[in-house]
Amino acid sequence: MTELRDAATADIQYDFDIHDSNAADDLFETYAEMRNRCPVAHTPHYGGHWVATKYDDIHDILRNPTVFSSESVNIPGTIGQDGPMIPIEVDPPDHGIYRKLINPLFSPKRMADLEPQIRALVNELIDQMLESNRVDFVEAFARELPSRVFLALMGWDIADASRFNEWVDLIVLGKPGASEEEATEVRTAAAMEVYAYFAEMIDDRAGSDDAEDITQILINGTFEDRELTQFEVLNILFLFLIGGLHTVQGQLAHTVIFMAENPIVRKQLATDLSLVDSAVEEMLRWESAICPARLVKEDVVLGGVQLRAGDKVLIPFTSANRDEEKFDNADTVDIAREPNPHIAFGAGNHRCVGSHLARLELRIAFEELHRRMPAYRLDPADPPVRHLSQIKGVVKLPLIIGESI
Amino acid sequence: MSDALTAEVDRSACKGHGRCYMTNPEVFDCDDEGFPIVIGVASTAQELSDLERAVNNCPEQAVSALRV
Repeated sequence: MTELRDAATADIQYDFDIHDSNAADDLFETYAEMRNRCPVAHTPHYGGHWVATKYDDIHDILRNPTVFSSESVNIPGTIGQDGPMIPIEVDPPDHGIYRKLINPLFSPKRMADLEPQIRALVNELIDQMLESNRVDFVEAFARELPSRVFLALMGWDIADASRFNEWVDLIVLGKPGASEEEATEVRTAAAMEVYAYFAEMIDDRAGSDDAEDITQILINGTFEDRELTQFEVLNILFLFLIGGLHTVQGQLAHTVIFMAENPIVRKQLATDLSLVDSAVEEMLRWESAICPARLVKEDVVLGGVQLRAGDKVLIPFTSANRDEEKFDNADTVDIAREPNPHIAFGAGNHRCVGSHLARLELRIAFEELHRRMPAYRLDPADPPVRHLSQIKGVVKLPLIIGESI
Repeated sequence: MSDALTAEVDRSACKGHGRCYMTNPEVFDCDDEGFPIVIGVASTAQELSDLERAVNNCPEQAVSALRV
């Protein structure tokens, strides 16, 4: 029997910093090396934490909340939120009570009602992009769409989209290049502005009673037999924002980078838009934005490695989804891939509550983009810039429209 | 015995991803929270293959096919 390894074992150490955007371009090589050499690795960053990279290990962690708690999903521990983000940083049984209230707000049927509105928002952005042949796809589309959809969903003013974009950029990215303390300060300040905006939306609804309005439903919401506090409502709204913006933005941009670089696949999609559903799933598998953490609540052995209570473990979904033991030719995009049980939206109790909305946004965006602008390419003189963090994304994506490589 | 199949969803494993009702609307619908409801059987070749997809695409391995 091989000896149990632990945080001090030399051959499972791996210098990995989830907030180092310089690591973004080689991220998949890094994860592949970790899966091969040390699938449960220890990194010295942020006081030392674990990184699990195999599909099966990540899946087991997600489905075992007693040992792997969600009470702190960030490394370092805060992105500026005041108290736990609800319900993503809540464990069972309380988690289930919150989800019972929130699930219907994002149900597939409720989301389907938004389809015409989302399609109009998508086409409005495409109209603007088609006015010139060079755009920054992040600025012109990927960043705009999810924030406008979020505001449309909430029934808030769509003109506030740019304010939300700025706040969420600061909260997710902190201050690139700054110290950890300075980044936390920037995040906290932006989060405070977000809370103030939400509080205003809550105050605006005093005395009204719109049964369809999400803010109102939350204000009237209950936790067992008591009303939700304003603190809870604010932290639920905060999570909607964090969960809904950079995630979809990254997914849109990563997909467009791939399609610009792979014209055969792009043409396959553009000439047969019935492939869009499976293409969306495949691109979610191929580039999965989210990399949450779990807090270890009791000593446990994972993949032959001893984890201790109080440790934190990072679980990059995108590494799970590139695991060759789970997916044949995992590094190859097959937009008709079957089967494709990817975990881009997580698994277990915390399965992304916004997944049905995200899929709808992605499906409509890729249908309309490839119907209306089937040819586009990267600008060789101005390549895309990616960022890491626990939500991987793209900062800048210069695109030439109407040309193909 | 017919070749038709129906589905069973393990309620404790299912987390409402929706892959089953997305790939196979003949057999699955969803409730107001987004959890699947089994509404039919698969009998044509297409329906049987869609049901197989629903089983294999579930990230929670919560769906199984059963003889009617």
